[in-house]
Amino acid sequence: MPKELAKLDHLAVGYDKPLIGDVSTSINSGEIIAILGPSGIGKTTLIRTIAGLIAPLEGSVERLVPKRGGLGYIPQRLGLVRHMSVKANVELGARCRTSIWHPAIAPLPRQLRKDVEEAIEKLGILEHLNDPVRILSGGQQRRVATARALAQKPQIILADEFLGELDDDNVEIVLRIVKQMVRKQGCALVMVEHHEEIARSIADRIWLIEDGKLKEVDP
Amino acid sequence: MRRHHFIIAILALVLLAWMTFLDVVGDDWGRLDGSLDNLVIFFSESIWPLDWSVLDASPPCEGAEGFFCSPAYTGIIETLKMAFVATILGFVIALPLATLAASNLSPTWVSIPVRIFLSAMRSLPSIIWAIFLLIFIGIGPVAGIFAMALYTIGYLGKLQYESIEGVQNAPLEAARAMGLKRSETSLHVAIPEAANHLISQLLFMFEYNVRHGTVLGIVGAGGIGYHINNQLKFLAYDKAAALLIVVFIVVVAIDMLSMYIRSFVTEEGDVKRPSWGTVFLPAGIAARYHHKKSTQDEEE
Repeated sequence: MPKELAKLDHLAVGYDKPLIGDVSTSINSGEIIAILGPSGIGKTTLIRTIAGLIAPLEGSVERLVPKRGGLGYIPQRLGLVRHMSVKANVELGARCRTSIWHPAIAPLPRQLRKDVEEAIEKLGILEHLNDPVRILSGGQQRRVATARALAQKPQIILADEFLGELDDDNVEIVLRIVKQMVRKQGCALVMVEHHEEIARSIADRIWLIEDGKLKEVDP
Repeated sequence: MRRHHFIIAILALVLLAWMTFLDVVGDDWGRLDGSLDNLVIFFSESIWPLDWSVLDASPPCEGAEGFFCSPAYTGIIETLKMAFVATILGFVIALPLATLAASNLSPTWVSIPVRIFLSAMRSLPSIIWAIFLLIFIGIGPVAGIFAMALYTIGYLGKLQYESIEGVQNAPLEAARAMGLKRSETSLHVAIPEAANHLISQLLFMFEYNVRHGTVLGIVGAGGIGYHINNQLKFLAYDKAAALLIVVFIVVVAIDMLSMYIRSFVTEEGDVKRPSWGTVFLPAGIAARYHHKKSTQDEEE
């Protein structure tokens, strides 16, 4: 039975004037939602509003997941700490699963450290464990961002074009892992995607943005 | 802005400065007419030849002889030690304050008061802090160290929060959306992202404190400045000048050293030598190491 994880109620998003208006829908567990539409139409703004990084212009976003660690966000530019190692970056995800009282300076508990290594291994970047992220290729960096989300085990993952410039092999690996997460852990994936074919092939629901409106269409 | 606009703006500023200068001076040109002659007389009679006896032992010294017992050596070593302790102390206190002052990490109601506090620390130069502290603590290096540390907090804190504010937004946003605490975001995202700048500023601050340590000694806060002040009191300008040359040599040496170390941590240096392990290696060896590593990477 899918659980409601977030509720958008007459939501209008934008900076000064609304880019997308009157969005009323929900995000449920175990589903993949792809947001499609031409560039500059407000897809990123919508996803950032859902992430709580921008205040809605009208209406509301109700996030029914824990504030700490309940939501994972992979921005377009990945948001990795460039000077830190792959391990340190993935550990950031796992850190959300510690209690709020866990001191920032303290190392992670053993179980979480194990999860971090597992996530890195799953994404096939174990040989770069201690390399700083900045020396990795674009595709490898995307795998690091995915591993971070994997170690975080969020209930909602918001991904902004995270397949980006991945080559076919990498797309396949990343998609397989993300799909597994959605199906096994019952989390929800909301992804902004340029590759329309890929999006339609894996999504359960499509949010098509046209003329400032969000339309639900069949994949 | 076109090029001639820029030139006109510079000329206008120079003119404005000249008019301000005339305004400040009024009619009081002092003894500017004969100043060059005065300088020549002062130099030839009081300074030249320099009296290098400051490099000779001046007992009592414990377990040291010759140069190592001289005021120049003991003084400059004390100044270096004071600057080192003050810089580290200031850095450790300034960094958490800087994360509180950075507008991309803290809400306005936190960042503004912290910024005001940092400006207050900075608005008093270390020499004024030293004079205050001398009243509390008394003459000696402790007052000097605290004076420098207080100024370091204000000055370094500002440099630090500005670099933290300059880090990329995407990692901070990802951390915020994930629900990481502010302390976690500061420690694991913002500070590592700004690390290159922070290290470079730390080195700059050390060099700055060595230079200022000399001035602090003059008000009695220890170090080589104390010896310079003693020589000036006895009008022994030749000895004071010799000590100043010692300071000059040390400052230049530190400047070169810090330039060298900073070359590893700036972005360009970063590309040149990607490993922290090579930071303290001589340039030739580090370059060879890097070359080996990059060929390995290419082979992979």
